Amino acid sequence: MRKAANRRATLRCRCVLAASAAVCALVSATPAIPAETPTGASGETAADTPSEISVTVYRAPFRAAGSINLDDLEGFALISETRTVHLAAGTQRLRFEGVADGIEPSSAIVTGFPDGILEKNREGKLLSPSALIDAAVGKQVTLLRTDKKTGKATRTVGTVLSDAAGGVVFETSEGIEALRCSGLPETLSFTGINGLSATPTLSVLVRTSSPLTQTVTLSYLARGFDWSADYVATLSADGKTMDLGAWVTLANGNGVGFPSARTQVVAGRVNRESGDVEPLDVGGPIFAQCWPRGSTSDSPEYLQFKRTLQFDAARDGYSKAVFAMAAAPRLEHVIVTGARNAEQEQLGDLKLYRVPDRTTVASRQSKQVRLLDRQAIPIDFLYGADLASEGAASIPASLLLRTSNTAANHLGLPLPSGRVAVFAASGSEKLLRHESGIRDLAVDEEVEIDLGQSPDVQVTLEKEKTNIDSAHSRSLPLVPGVLMLRSVDIDDVYRVAVSNARAEPVRFELRLQLPEGARVVRADRPLGTKNGRPIFRLTIPAHGGVSVRYQTQRS
Amino acid sequence: MRTRLLAAWLTASLLCLAPNSPAIAAERTLSVTIYADDLALVQDRREIDVKSGRQRIEFQDVSAQIRPETVSLTAADIGIVEQNFDFDLLTPGKLMEKAVGREVTIVRVNPATGAETREQAQVLATNGGVVLKIGQRIEVLRDDGLPVRVIFDKVPDNLRARPTLSVTIIGGRAGTRPATLSYLTPGLGWRADYVALYDEGGGKIDVQGWVTLTNSSGTTYENAQTLLVAGSPSQVDGAGGQPAFHRGVQPRSNLQQAGTESGTRERLGDYYLYPLAERTTIANLQTKQVSFLDVHSVPAEHGYEFRNRWLGTTETPQSAKSIYSFSTSTHAGLGDQLPAGVLRFYMRDKRGDPQFIGESRIDHTPMGSTLSLATGDAFDVKVRAVVDKRTRVSAFDWQSEMRYEFTNALPRPVTVKLLQDGLWGDSRISAESQKSTRRSADTAEWAVTVPANGKAALTATFDTRF
Repeated sequence: MRKAANRRATLRCRCVLAASAAVCALVSATPAIPAETPTGASGETAADTPSEISVTVYRAPFRAAGSINLDDLEGFALISETRTVHLAAGTQRLRFEGVADGIEPSSAIVTGFPDGILEKNREGKLLSPSALIDAAVGKQVTLLRTDKKTGKATRTVGTVLSDAAGGVVFETSEGIEALRCSGLPETLSFTGINGLSATPTLSVLVRTSSPLTQTVTLSYLARGFDWSADYVATLSADGKTMDLGAWVTLANGNGVGFPSARTQVVAGRVNRESGDVEPLDVGGPIFAQCWPRGSTSDSPEYLQFKRTLQFDAARDGYSKAVFAMAAAPRLEHVIVTGARNAEQEQLGDLKLYRVPDRTTVASRQSKQVRLLDRQAIPIDFLYGADLASEGAASIPASLLLRTSNTAANHLGLPLPSGRVAVFAASGSEKLLRHESGIRDLAVDEEVEIDLGQSPDVQVTLEKEKTNIDSAHSRSLPLVPGVLMLRSVDIDDVYRVAVSNARAEPVRFELRLQLPEGARVVRADRPLGTKNGRPIFRLTIPAHGGVSVRYQTQRS
Repeated sequence: MRTRLLAAWLTASLLCLAPNSPAIAAERTLSVTIYADDLALVQDRREIDVKSGRQRIEFQDVSAQIRPETVSLTAADIGIVEQNFDFDLLTPGKLMEKAVGREVTIVRVNPATGAETREQAQVLATNGGVVLKIGQRIEVLRDDGLPVRVIFDKVPDNLRARPTLSVTIIGGRAGTRPATLSYLTPGLGWRADYVALYDEGGGKIDVQGWVTLTNSSGTTYENAQTLLVAGSPSQVDGAGGQPAFHRGVQPRSNLQQAGTESGTRERLGDYYLYPLAERTTIANLQTKQVSFLDVHSVPAEHGYEFRNRWLGTTETPQSAKSIYSFSTSTHAGLGDQLPAGVLRFYMRDKRGDPQFIGESRIDHTPMGSTLSLATGDAFDVKVRAVVDKRTRVSAFDWQSEMRYEFTNALPRPVTVKLLQDGLWGDSRISAESQKSTRRSADTAEWAVTVPANGKAALTATFDTRF
């Protein structure tokens, strides 16, 4: 309210010069700009730093199987902090400093106040040079001019009139001037501006009847985290078993670290609805925008657009809001802790993995924790091809590694989705065979790991002939007497040749993809079905080939 | 405070004799009504000092996104001539542009000695560069790059630091009187956020509801009485319309049974009103939350759902959706109507710490409704749908045999609600291994029980025309 009076005084005085301006300056010289505190607030305190932190990381809901991208962490985390607060009697604003920059303010929960809280706030305006000037509009500032020659500084008291569109206009007793348009070194210095914080800060308004020291818990969801399971499968020399190991890789892309935190990751896909992050004003740069600065040596072209551009520039200058987490710097450190495995427990329909010891989830860090180590898992290799009816030339078969997630196979535990790297021994060396992804696998599910295409096993499809059986045609009146629909059966005969250039016989699955209404009526090999589709299970001899003929009928 | 303020006022007014400067209305009482759809009605009560006759009154600190066509000013004994919304902002460039033809003071500073030379100059043009007339000479400002200060003696009338509304009125009798300025503005909005803690053992939830206010209107509303309206009044211009979250989101309906109860909350037509108990300051770019609902131990059910599209075949087993359902009735429910927002579910882990298990969006929900909300995919409960056989019976008749395989890796039996979509027209189920219910003409529903750590299967044959 005092502020309003100040402004009115200075605005009114603008018309009169010298003498009365000095008096007006006295009138407006009431010190200290009050902080923007809500009504009735008797004070402002900050909560202590957290004494206990828990971080639970969730993977990006729509990321397919695969590893995390450290430059674009699309998952999130639930952060719970226990802090001690010291409250005086009355209504006050309590600040929680040092929350993650990716905080989703609407998800914040504060518990532990005996009388509850009045409101929760997240201020979107951060302390920046432009926020300082913005807060100083209409208020008194000191203009500092330094003489380049002598280094002598001159201080002049003035008022900021405007900071619109990046240009600053201020008024002193001499008159009205624009900041940094004269070519002299000049700057503003501010006093008594507060209520702006350096990092996103959450605050609550609480009311207590008596002074209170209390332990409260703050939990919130924050973006800029992610985790994935990274598996390493090592095939044995004989190709009959594999060893499977896995890491949990979790990363924090926030500018805030969480020291000595209890850390968990959650596997499974959870629904996320809130796509919007509330805008933050981190402050644009101040370009001392001045009047046109053309000189007699400039070329005259740019005069034309000047007027049309001005309005837009003014409007844009008003919405400097940007989104948090826009450009996180690259993550740098990778920390590996491998002494003990993460412990798994059920959380509703999800799986929670607990990092056994407290650990520090530092800012812009990725961290790995051992998830599992299993040996001698029996495996099968299987070659296969999916054939549509209109065949291509020769295509290479794909190779699958197949096992089952059962206790009998030395597995039988939930396998969260992630990336799997398959290594095979080659003499004394270990070589990478292939890298692919696996989905979330529950206990007892079949595990299939794609090992890529094998040029050694080739598949060729040929259509041998097509019969149209006109003798058994059926007629349907579409428009009686005018238009008839004739329905005939079409027979196709196909031949598929599979060749094997390997030194050992291979198992092969030939899966057929038939058009609507078609079925296999005859085949020279036993026909099975899998997932409702016809399938031939074949064994291809070493350095040999097999051919299959079958007939389909469409009606 | 009040008296000191008045004193300051008087001193300022007495010293500054300015017959033509506009009156500035500042002392204000705000009330803000916020609709759910990025729209707010601001009512701004100020004392204005009206002189007799025609004059201009300025209202600073109105919303930077004000819709000027919705402004109305009411005060006793005044007639409104016109309203202006000045968005010509005070910038150095504008200041110079408006000074064309006028006198300014230029101060040349000698870079070697620091000595200042003052001259009066007339601004001739500001096209590209500033052209000045100093005595009989014509010069370009700072053409040589040497420092030159330009001092203006006044700010042009309609240049402002912030967009400002001004109203020209004809006053009847002179004197101070209360006036109410009301207008609509986008940039202020609210939604609800809910926190639900599910107790798995007891099958109960605790629900807290928070009103979340957001302000991106460019202005701070100090000490405002705030009223929230749950509902979206139709807006004619292109700005409003459907809220963003109505577009292209899940087709699954969360509302299972619409409620028929009415609560004790205040209403405005068909909208519910949520007044905030105390005056509050809504700062620019602030997100503010105020509690409006806190209920404990409401019965809730947990189930699974899998929806298969017509002829949907899943090569690999797909997770069923994890569903939580509860009532908003006064009897065994939340006992309140729920404004639209996001409901976040939490559950305690083995240590007793609440962990997040997913969220779901709800629409405005009347009291007495049954909500069924999907929180995510179940890790351990999966479904595989297979078209076993599809035959053409005649030219326009098809028969499709479907098989659904369910697996459950949980140590307890679960019931999965299977929905088969796409049964359009006169489609029939000619055979099924378990009795279905027809949820709608297009959708059949089965409740399949899957044993602990076990499997179950369901088959059905559909007779269709496609």
